[in-house]
Amino acid sequence: MSEILAQQWQIISSTSWPLLLTLAGFAIAWWTYNRSGRASLLHPLMIATPLIYFTMQIIDLDFAAYYSGNGILNWLLGPATVALAVPLSQQLRQLPAMFKPLIVALLLGGLFATLSALLLVKLFGLSDIVLLSLAAKSVTSPIALSVVEQIGGLTSLLAVATMITGLAGIVVAKSIFHLTQLEDERWQGLILGVTAHAIGTAKAFESSPRCGAFATLGMGINGILTAIALPLSIGLFII
Amino acid sequence: MKKLAIGLLILVVFQWLGEWGISVTGLNIPGQLLGMILLLIVLSLNKALLPWLETTSSQLIRFIALLFVPITTGAFFLGPEIFEQLPQILAVLIISTLLAQWFMALLINRLRRSGDK
Repeated sequence: MSEILAQQWQIISSTSWPLLLTLAGFAIAWWTYNRSGRASLLHPLMIATPLIYFTMQIIDLDFAAYYSGNGILNWLLGPATVALAVPLSQQLRQLPAMFKPLIVALLLGGLFATLSALLLVKLFGLSDIVLLSLAAKSVTSPIALSVVEQIGGLTSLLAVATMITGLAGIVVAKSIFHLTQLEDERWQGLILGVTAHAIGTAKAFESSPRCGAFATLGMGINGILTAIALPLSIGLFII
Repeated sequence: MKKLAIGLLILVVFQWLGEWGISVTGLNIPGQLLGMILLLIVLSLNKALLPWLETTSSQLIRFIALLFVPITTGAFFLGPEIFEQLPQILAVLIISTLLAQWFMALLINRLRRSGDK
């Protein structure tokens, strides 16, 4: 137990001035995103990260120093993961009568999202490290990050992959729902949550609270299941 | 402010419980995920902790993109081996997301039709 505490304290106490760089970059990005009427492609991460990268080039700051200087933010990812239990428990409490089809859609949908990505990685002949990094791309970022860390992928690649997946998900979802004539917003929410995690869930809440509630369920349960299944089964894809 | 701090403390305690549980049982999942599952179980059994957690969790989730700024910035430093594979990586992400949504929509339509009968 004391070992865990010491390790966490080390992360927190390494926080220093590069944190200001992150906060400034994020503030600019957040302002731009809101000014644009929350345009998907102006997601705060899409704006903040290149801004910070170019600043780092100018002031000659290397990534290791920048990353450890943001210790407090990296540490907060742990509590943020645990925090996902709160909205999930509120939604589970009013779990609807359509429990059975919901679970089937969730299980098969989550499996399909991961499996199709892994098979495409193989098909395109990409390296094993890419495969390990993309494996959790449909899962909400804090969970995905810890899973990819565990199976040995590149966390920075995963972070970008998750962002792109979420953005792609909200851009194409409308046409998919139209094409398949799926009009029920509860099911639309579930699909957004499973395939586009937090970005999809935020979009679902813009449609209606009900749509958002189902997205929360989809994102949360898919996150838990994938995190349990991936470390056990990923070995099958590395040959 | 007090509520925010107490909420964070509860989350941290559950994270530690999760990490500790993993080190004791040797389970093959991330510690913070076990912490989340433990909190989920506690909240489903008893709502007492919920009012203390609502503010902290909604603020953490609202600004979660901020927490991902450092790690995502790391993508610019991934190196040529990954950058060469970038077009295919993009294709994988977009195609698999599109396919998964399409698959789920068809599956749901089917499940609903069989449910109506």
